[in-house]
Amino acid sequence: MNNRPLIIVAFIVAFAVFALWIVSASVYTVDETQQALVVRLGKPVGVVNTPGLKFKMPMVDTVIYYDTRLLPLESPTDQIILGDQKRIEVDTYTRYRIADLLLFYKSVRTVEQANAQLSQLVGSSVRRELGREPLGSLLSDKRAKIVDKIQNEVAEKAKPIGIDVVEVRIHRADLPLETSQAIYDRMKSEREREAKELRAQGFEWAQQIQSNAERERTVILSKAQRNSKITRSEGDAEAARTFASAYGKDPQFYKFYRSLQTYQQTLADSVPTLVLSPNAEFLQNLINGPGKQ
Amino acid sequence: MSSNSEKDDKIAPDTGIPSPQLVQSAQVIPNQLGYKFGLGRKGFTLIAAVAVFLWLVSGIYKVQPDEQGVVLRFGKWVETSDPGIHYRLPAPIETILLPKVTSINQLQLGKVGITKQAANILSAHIEPEFAPLPAAQGENINQMLTGDENIVEADCAVFWQIKDVGNYLFKVYAPEKMLKVAAESALREVIGRNPIQAALSDRRQQIADDVKDSLQHLLDAEQAGILVTQVQLQRVDPPAAVIDAFNDVQRARADKERLRNEAEAYRNDILPRARGEAERINQDAEAYKTQVVNLAQGDAQSFLSVYATYTSSRDATAWRLYLDSVDQVLKKANKVIIDSSGKGMSGVVPYMPLSETSAKPTTAQGAAQ
Repeated sequence: MNNRPLIIVAFIVAFAVFALWIVSASVYTVDETQQALVVRLGKPVGVVNTPGLKFKMPMVDTVIYYDTRLLPLESPTDQIILGDQKRIEVDTYTRYRIADLLLFYKSVRTVEQANAQLSQLVGSSVRRELGREPLGSLLSDKRAKIVDKIQNEVAEKAKPIGIDVVEVRIHRADLPLETSQAIYDRMKSEREREAKELRAQGFEWAQQIQSNAERERTVILSKAQRNSKITRSEGDAEAARTFASAYGKDPQFYKFYRSLQTYQQTLADSVPTLVLSPNAEFLQNLINGPGKQ
Repeated sequence: MSSNSEKDDKIAPDTGIPSPQLVQSAQVIPNQLGYKFGLGRKGFTLIAAVAVFLWLVSGIYKVQPDEQGVVLRFGKWVETSDPGIHYRLPAPIETILLPKVTSINQLQLGKVGITKQAANILSAHIEPEFAPLPAAQGENINQMLTGDENIVEADCAVFWQIKDVGNYLFKVYAPEKMLKVAAESALREVIGRNPIQAALSDRRQQIADDVKDSLQHLLDAEQAGILVTQVQLQRVDPPAAVIDAFNDVQRARADKERLRNEAEAYRNDILPRARGEAERINQDAEAYKTQVVNLAQGDAQSFLSVYATYTSSRDATAWRLYLDSVDQVLKKANKVIIDSSGKGMSGVVPYMPLSETSAKPTTAQGAAQ
């Protein structure tokens, strides 16, 4: 009698705990970023694509969550021999969604497994497609086409494992480190060529400008000299005409007059010693005195 | 759903799974127990009421001006709220995400802007289950091939903001990391389409725009919910090993200009001088011409004047002119007069050493006497 309320309490508690357990085991939530697979005793029975509060059978059902988001896959760096026998290092990345969860669960089960398979698919596809192309087309607008082709191929092959490949892209396509020294040398030689050409062009310009200027100077000076000569000879001619018209009046007198000028100009300022004969007419008076003429 | 609120723990510490039902039943048990152990029924009711009140109040949340509130009910996106104070159902039922939608974020590619702190944040965000980017080569991470098979080092900054909250939060795994990979890929692709000279100088802006377009295209295809607002190409350099050669090209370009300037300086120096000299020659010639003509006229005129006097008195004028000249000539000269026809003087030999004529004039004078 005494412990009757206690029993009731114990019963209520036990019931409450049981009810709680049932509720908690049959309710689960699916996040906005998730999708869930309900597995009943090891057999997948349903896919839950919508987020929210969901119910399942307790004990027998287990829920496996998968991402609905776009998932990244970075493939490790791969050395690839291109169509023109050049080796490059290629990193690719893939973006995919789990599209068909049931198929995905049956074929790969985990994301890790899917990544491994997808990585192989991408690797072989990239190797095959790039193996046909020369480096030049990777470094051109053709790259997009090649990448599209790889993407389509991978997408096609990934469909059977429930994966929707949204994109495959070349993240990095570089020449391996061993060859970069050769590239550097080539770049250097190209720059040297350019630098030499530029300097030579500078020299060319300078020579053109200088020689042009010198030619112009010579032309200017020679023209001036020509004009000068013409002007001078005109002056000379004019002077000669003036003289001729004046002196032509009496050439005899001019000779006399001009020789006197010459004596004055050439003899007067020097100190010549003249040996004179007293017979000279201007000395007659010195010798004979007046009246003897 | 492992995020229990504290109030649930107080009431039902023995269960790990919270739910509204749990709270309801948890209130019943303490009432019974309290009755048994002498606690007042009122006391339990009060405690339970306060607990429920606190729990309900915990649903108030605030959205900052640069944020948007995204309310998830049992993981399902049910509501989007604008900045301000809002209410949601408390913790286990509804949760709230507060992405910053208006702020513009910066993503740095290459080594320029990566500080240690930024690198730590970056590495903390990379989930361990996915292999990290092949960044192990360190220095070479921002080296890339150009369209003409040269190598450049390029850094760029990508500015982005959230365009579509739903896509950003729920459609893409680690969107910021995807953005980084996509941005690197886009940059490399665009650089790979352009020759090195374009990347280094004249087409940088074009390249940045191309990267932006390409990146936005990629992000839209991924439904990443990210809007690229700007791509800045910050540093595009040739690799350190060849940068000297590239700098030398710049120097050569400067040398070329210098040579031309020097040549033009030379030209500018000599041509005006030449023109000046030419002018001088011309002026000299003109001067000479005027001079000779004037002199000739003067000479002619003076001759004519003399001639005029000569015609009026021929003999006297001739003699005057002659003797004037003799004056001039004899004034300074040494004179030796030898009468070669005279008697007794015929033995005089006019000996005169030509080199001594000016040195020994006295002898001559003595001989004359």
